Amino acid sequence: MKVRRIEKGGALKIVVGMRQLADLVEELEVADSGVDIDRDFVKFVSNEWDEAALEEALLIKEAVGGEVVVIALDEPDVDQTLYSAIAKGADRAVKIVGVEEGWTPTRLRAQLLSKWLKSEGDWDAFLTGVQAADDLDGQLAGLIGATLGVPHAAVVSKAEPEGSSLRITQELGGGTLSESVATGKVVLGIQAGRQAPRYAPITRIRQAMSTSTIETFDAQEIDLGPGPKVRKIYPPQSKGQATMLDGDPVEVAEKIVELIRAKGLVR
Amino acid sequence: MFLETVVETRKIFGGETSLEKLVFYLLAFVTLVIFFTGLIRRVKKYRAGRKLVGWDFRGGKAKGIEHVTEPPSHGRSLLDVLTHKTITRRKHSVGAAHLLVFWGFIGLFLATSILALDYDIYGNITRIFFGKERSFFTGWFYISYNFVFNIAGVAALLGAALLNFRRVFSKESELDYERAHKPEEGYKRVKMAIGDHIFVAGLLAIIVTGFLIQGLRIDGSNFPSFEKWTFMGYLVGEGWRVVGVGATLAGQIHSYLWWIHILMALAFVAYLPFSKALHILSSPTNMVLRHPASTRVLPPSPIEHMGYQELRDFTHKDLIGLDACTKCGRCHGVCPARTVGAPLSPRDLILDLRQWVDRSTKNPMIFDWEERPEGSGPRNVDGRLAGDVISERTLWSCTTCMACVEICPVGIEHVPLIVQLRRSLVDQGVMDPTLQSALQNIATQGNSFGKSSRMRARWVKSLDFPVVDARKEHVEYLWFLGDFASFDERLVEISRTLAKVLSAAGISFGILYESEKNAGNDVRRAGEEGLFEMLVEGNMKAFSSASFDKIITTDPHSFNTLRNEYPAFGLTAPVMHYSELLAQLLYEGKLSLTKQSKNVTYHDPCYLGRYNRIFDAPRAVISGLGCDLVEMPRHRDNSFCCGAGGGRIWMDDSFLNERPSENRMREAATLGVDYFVVACPKDYAMFTDAVKTTGNEGKITVVDIVELFYESMMGEQLAGVAAGDSDTDIKDGKQV
Ligand code: SF4
Ligand code: SF4
Repeated sequence: MKVRRIEKGGALKIVVGMRQLADLVEELEVADSGVDIDRDFVKFVSNEWDEAALEEALLIKEAVGGEVVVIALDEPDVDQTLYSAIAKGADRAVKIVGVEEGWTPTRLRAQLLSKWLKSEGDWDAFLTGVQAADDLDGQLAGLIGATLGVPHAAVVSKAEPEGSSLRITQELGGGTLSESVATGKVVLGIQAGRQAPRYAPITRIRQAMSTSTIETFDAQEIDLGPGPKVRKIYPPQSKGQATMLDGDPVEVAEKIVELIRAKGLVR
Repeated sequence: MFLETVVETRKIFGGETSLEKLVFYLLAFVTLVIFFTGLIRRVKKYRAGRKLVGWDFRGGKAKGIEHVTEPPSHGRSLLDVLTHKTITRRKHSVGAAHLLVFWGFIGLFLATSILALDYDIYGNITRIFFGKERSFFTGWFYISYNFVFNIAGVAALLGAALLNFRRVFSKESELDYERAHKPEEGYKRVKMAIGDHIFVAGLLAIIVTGFLIQGLRIDGSNFPSFEKWTFMGYLVGEGWRVVGVGATLAGQIHSYLWWIHILMALAFVAYLPFSKALHILSSPTNMVLRHPASTRVLPPSPIEHMGYQELRDFTHKDLIGLDACTKCGRCHGVCPARTVGAPLSPRDLILDLRQWVDRSTKNPMIFDWEERPEGSGPRNVDGRLAGDVISERTLWSCTTCMACVEICPVGIEHVPLIVQLRRSLVDQGVMDPTLQSALQNIATQGNSFGKSSRMRARWVKSLDFPVVDARKEHVEYLWFLGDFASFDERLVEISRTLAKVLSAAGISFGILYESEKNAGNDVRRAGEEGLFEMLVEGNMKAFSSASFDKIITTDPHSFNTLRNEYPAFGLTAPVMHYSELLAQLLYEGKLSLTKQSKNVTYHDPCYLGRYNRIFDAPRAVISGLGCDLVEMPRHRDNSFCCGAGGGRIWMDDSFLNERPSENRMREAATLGVDYFVVACPKDYAMFTDAVKTTGNEGKITVVDIVELFYESMMGEQLAGVAAGDSDTDIKDGKQV
């Protein structure tokens, strides 16, 4: 798509970790096992934060040249996601195969990805979505950083190349931004890219399918050691009900005061 | 008099010296060299494009759309050129004036050719073979020649005078060359206007001087009585005499004026390939090459890449089409995008592309050229064609309503060009974020709403009868709903109404449930060809898993692609629109329907009317139900788009001065009708909004044609109840 500009010193090799998630527009159901969602009938789509990470990686590549590698576990419909990443401009796609079917805990995912990152060696930055529907507290990037002993930054909204380093903007909440410069290897949890993820035309995805191959990497035995175990998954149970208060503001205010009194919160 | 006996003839050169004759022949030769050089350069330019595919030039028939429009043939197109069918359409007087000029000049051209045949060919041959120059330009031939071609001359004179008059005095918006997309860097189109004036005024001047020298010649030869047949020339001769020009003076003036006339005529011929006059050749050629199927069935992308990105992506026909444009502005006048202030005018698009092609091939026109800073718009030969030369917003503004293609008198097909350019934008990934998410939804869920496909048939749940799953049971009609009629909260109610009508009428019908996908009409028109193909594959798979005889659709957009484009992918079942089925039910007379006496107007959906020529079925339903149909000024093939087509429904329209649907609603509001009848789910959505935003709430109500139908059906049932219950008052309760 775009001409690759390789500059000595400037070019960066960026790895983007992608995840497949059950499409939330579908009605999710709990599987018979009771510890996972029923994966047979749901559609899987790519994690939207990972798409933002990919976009950021592509922008970096367009600015300074280099290489973008996308990597994912062998999850349902993952090929679609990897090929569309290639269609958008990624150079290589890697799939980690041999992982047990079903939900992969984030800790395991982090270990598997770290293994590949270690074996690949010469990358400059690893970008992935700051969170995912099955990793709402955003542990993946942090765990990988810790495992590899590489600096990690979360909630990144910009990663702009500066020479052979990256200038990183993070959102610290309350409207505060922080900027820092990462030299050397870095792991980033991307919150949003500098622009919305680009569109991958279907023709290009199909082209990618016929002209490129997805590399595979065998998952290695991983001993996670002790950790929590999912015992039960269930839809949130509704507790109590909301009561609508009618009337003009004064009446409503009075009713509220009465309610609070009745509950014994104030006297 | 220099002749002894009276022979009805004249000298072909009116007494010019042999030096003058030599000069004339030299000039004529130079003229022809310039003319052909210019023409060859143009033809070379066309050859820079790629070959037409899927269009059998010799056969001359566009196949596959026989049910939609008359299959065009070269013969037919030629007839349209000769009768000016397309030029007189909706503008009778301009067309008539042009027809006079057209036939007048053909006559004058023939007249000159006959003279050349007699003098240069017959004369020379007889001199060589018989030693004496002969001429057939005598006697009865001479007289009838003069009579007939004087008529042609008068026609040309009248026509040219009218066209000049129009160009100077008319205030029609079509003659205003202001751009719809105003570039920041500025632009000027004065030269274009000058070129047009030179062209029409030049024609007039050539005819006028022709008649003046004819009069001088007759005056100079003392008005021989046989010249009375040269009635106009004779009259002009009398005119010369009245102003005091006698025979001798007439001869002297003649020799000057003759040169002026000849020089203008030669200059015109030389000027032709470099000016608006080129349309004399390019427009009829384009008319013959036009292919009405190509807007209804979009042409494939060039093989090398998606959409048009460079010169060689254009077909020969596209390039001839660009040169065929006369800037008549009719497309500009009808374009809904242009009307509501979007930066798109189909005329500007054609002119920009033409100038860009002319720039790229170093093939300039003399006047037909817009002044712009270097590197801007069509002067940007290095930039992206879609995006820089033609701006993104311009391309995305098109609703693919086809109004431009319909009215273009020279058969230019704007919509396929726009879609080819959009394909290249999609390939670059450049689009409105809302369009992008619609396309993404369609790619993942099969519908633009981004809802699970299992929700597609949820609307059937609240019906009190089951809707057959056509994948499990044979049905006569497979009902293809489309996304809006399946998912939009306001529209599923109308879908239920149609289901009730079909079921009450005892029609065997079924749906595809979650297997139906967006049909892809607008996806294709938004330029996402790959996704379109994917959708076709999906739907074709669903069709083959079902058992049915015919397809009926709710959405005219789905209707268009299923009917016209899917056959190329193997669909053989006939496709109908529900309004046709309603008309059929009405005519079969099996249902008893109550007569209504509503005052209504009807909006022709672009994809039902202009695209598929279904104008009468909905009207038959409306009047068959007893309603009083008042037509809007813009109706049938001149219907004004609601603004939703071509993917526009998925894009931002906040930058427009008004929405096309609002413009349309204001038009309807002037009629004093109570109901605005639609036959398209997208129309229903667009116009119910427009009623509110134009402040017509309570004055005019949007109804779907099937709601009207259902009301008549239920009226009957209610009337049945009423018979036993005298309290129920049926307002329109007259039975049909
Ligand atoms: S198809 Fe309609 S909107 Fe598009 S350019 Fe033509 S007239 Fe304008
Ligand atoms: S494209 Fe056709 S309708 Fe439009 S200005 Fe040119 S000739 Fe006229």
